Amino acid sequence: MVRAKLWAVIRREYLERVQTRWFLIGCLIGPLLITGVLFVPAWLTLRNLRADPANLIVIDATGAGLGNRLRASLDSAATPNAPNKVDVRVTPPAGIAAAESLATRAVVTKEVDGYVVLDASTLRGERARYAGRKATAVGDMRRLETALRQTSLSQRLEHANLNPALVDSLTRSRLVLESERLTEQGRGSDASRRANTPFAMAVAFLLYTCMVLYGQAVLRGVLEEKSTRVAEVVVSSVSPETLLAGKVLGVGAVGLTQQIIWVAATLYLSSFTAPVIARMVPSTGAGSMTPGAPTTMAMSMPDVHIGSLLLILLFFILGYGVYSSLYAAVGATVNSEQEAQQALAPILLLIVSSALFIQPAMLNPTSTLARVASMFPFSAPVIMPLRMSLVPIPPWEMAVSILGLVIALIAVILLAARIYRVGLLMYGKRPTLGEIARWVRQA
Amino acid sequence: MTDFAIDVQHVVKRYADHVAVKDLSLQVPRGTVYGLLGPNGAGKTTTIRMILNIIAPDEGTIRVLGAPSNDARASDRIGYLPEERGLYKKMKVRAVLQFLGELRGMTRQAADLQIDYWLDRLSLKTPEKDWGQSKVDELSRGMQQKVQFISTLLHDPELVILDEPFSGLDPINAQALKDTVVELRKRGRTVIFSTHLMDNAERLCDSVCIIARGEKVLDGAVSAVKSAHGGKHIALALSSEARGGVTTVLSDTTLVTHVDDQNQFFELELARDATPQQLLERLVAAGAPITRFELVQPSLHQIFLRTVGAENVEEGMSGQG
Repeated sequence: MVRAKLWAVIRREYLERVQTRWFLIGCLIGPLLITGVLFVPAWLTLRNLRADPANLIVIDATGAGLGNRLRASLDSAATPNAPNKVDVRVTPPAGIAAAESLATRAVVTKEVDGYVVLDASTLRGERARYAGRKATAVGDMRRLETALRQTSLSQRLEHANLNPALVDSLTRSRLVLESERLTEQGRGSDASRRANTPFAMAVAFLLYTCMVLYGQAVLRGVLEEKSTRVAEVVVSSVSPETLLAGKVLGVGAVGLTQQIIWVAATLYLSSFTAPVIARMVPSTGAGSMTPGAPTTMAMSMPDVHIGSLLLILLFFILGYGVYSSLYAAVGATVNSEQEAQQALAPILLLIVSSALFIQPAMLNPTSTLARVASMFPFSAPVIMPLRMSLVPIPPWEMAVSILGLVIALIAVILLAARIYRVGLLMYGKRPTLGEIARWVRQA
Repeated sequence: MTDFAIDVQHVVKRYADHVAVKDLSLQVPRGTVYGLLGPNGAGKTTTIRMILNIIAPDEGTIRVLGAPSNDARASDRIGYLPEERGLYKKMKVRAVLQFLGELRGMTRQAADLQIDYWLDRLSLKTPEKDWGQSKVDELSRGMQQKVQFISTLLHDPELVILDEPFSGLDPINAQALKDTVVELRKRGRTVIFSTHLMDNAERLCDSVCIIARGEKVLDGAVSAVKSAHGGKHIALALSSEARGGVTTVLSDTTLVTHVDDQNQFFELELARDATPQQLLERLVAAGAPITRFELVQPSLHQIFLRTVGAENVEEGMSGQG
């Protein structure tokens, strides 16, 4: 009988939310947003990595013909259908300033992308200067730098009286670093590790967003029942605990529904974005400099097993349970949205702190900070799935994380149910922490 | 075992800074209309909430329909109209009623049949317009009251508890409520309502319990309460303003302890040792132009004032009407 009533509560919470216009809008916007978050950075990164045909002026003040060598080196890496335009201008060291101002004008009038200055220090293998439009294009700069190193090295080797032909064949190295991900579970390619980064980020982002959004939904639901005074009729028919459970489960079911729609729609949309990314990859500078290197980075499917997905789901359910119960308790102690925002501060602090750990944990998933954050019950629901997608997790850490969350969930539910029971029918002044503590002891 | 619809024994409820209910005992016989009377803040709502197991008493026991009040099954046989009324604003009327029916243990099908009956009866469903399909916040206040009322009676409860049911009701809904209370009683249902409006209580209740400051002041059948306080009340009407000797007579406290000017007549309460004859003699001697001199039963209102004490009542009676 209690179960029939619990079902009635869950059913109402679910249907009333799923039927709103906002749910529909959320289902449409969510996948677009996720796709944007995943696609745009990847697109920008790849665009930066790609090296366009060089179009620059080389101011050669070395007096040793380094400029022409540089041009030869750049040309050897260029593809025939996209030839370089490299204009070498040999000047005496005293003429650098004049040559630079001429070159600057050429950059400003967009005749060339930039210019590079080679002088005595370049000959010594110390430095060269680039100025121009492409200074922030990682791919172009990396290619130029590689060509400069190679040029300066062979120049110096020749200077040391080595046979030019020998120098040429020795320095024309095409070493490719092929990396592979090795874990307890076996081998996975480096590409899949990198593919996991956006995936991990998406998971963490999704979990965080959902906990905040659905926690807020629970709070608003409690507040509505309280402020419309319908709560009193309802709790005369079902226990506050049943009502709380039904509300949390009902809203949670809405959340799961929305996420299933989001994930499905994002996968569908990725069938459109993936080819765009894939088309960009073969023409990258990295690709042309290191032929044969894996060019599929970011586009290979993340190697996610069904087991990991179930674990992520478990973390979502536990984390959502913890936070929504806290939100419900807060909802029961306040009388208005404004009051709720103030009373929420401690909970927001907990949940935002877990968002703050996302970045460091992603950069270094095995650091002490990341490990602690993934085992602390209030940040575990976000950080553990993130780490899990990046690195293998020792079983004991996983066990501590899940166990801690389960214990925290039980404690929070008991606490929240007591606050909820008393608070639901209390109107007027917001209770102090001391009063809330008394409710918990009394109920 | 005596079969009371409600049996409250020595119940105490304390809050942080005050005692809301002090050692309250009352019995509500089945099939009666029972009034819980008292000024605002007397503990009526707290008592009702304890009967409904919304809050737990600190001490004492409560049995409802033969079972302990914390027995969850009892709630399906109780209908409750709280003082502060409200419904889910964004839900359709029918969906709200279905939901509240389900919470009282009805199936959706059974609820639907009853919803049709009540919407029709309270003219919320007419050939032109079915308000059941509208959202709650599209309804006028009066209509929302009707919906709330339907939600109380949907599952045909054996025991109906109405907390200040008349407050905020428009006259049409108030009449519908009275009619329904009478009908429920005819069908053997038990109705309890709390009010501070003595007129309503006097007209509708078989028995009453007056509480003040969390304590029972008196209880019993309305007729018994009245006769216990009767024989000392006199309705006096004069053809012109009372003045001179008449005023002196009425302010003689060895004769009259209380004068309540009802405009059309005075309701007098005799002092303990005085008799109506003495009063009549004195009034005639003073030359009072008497048009009415009658021994009357005191109104519940008078009894209430005398037992609770005026200082307790003033604030609470502000809503009298």
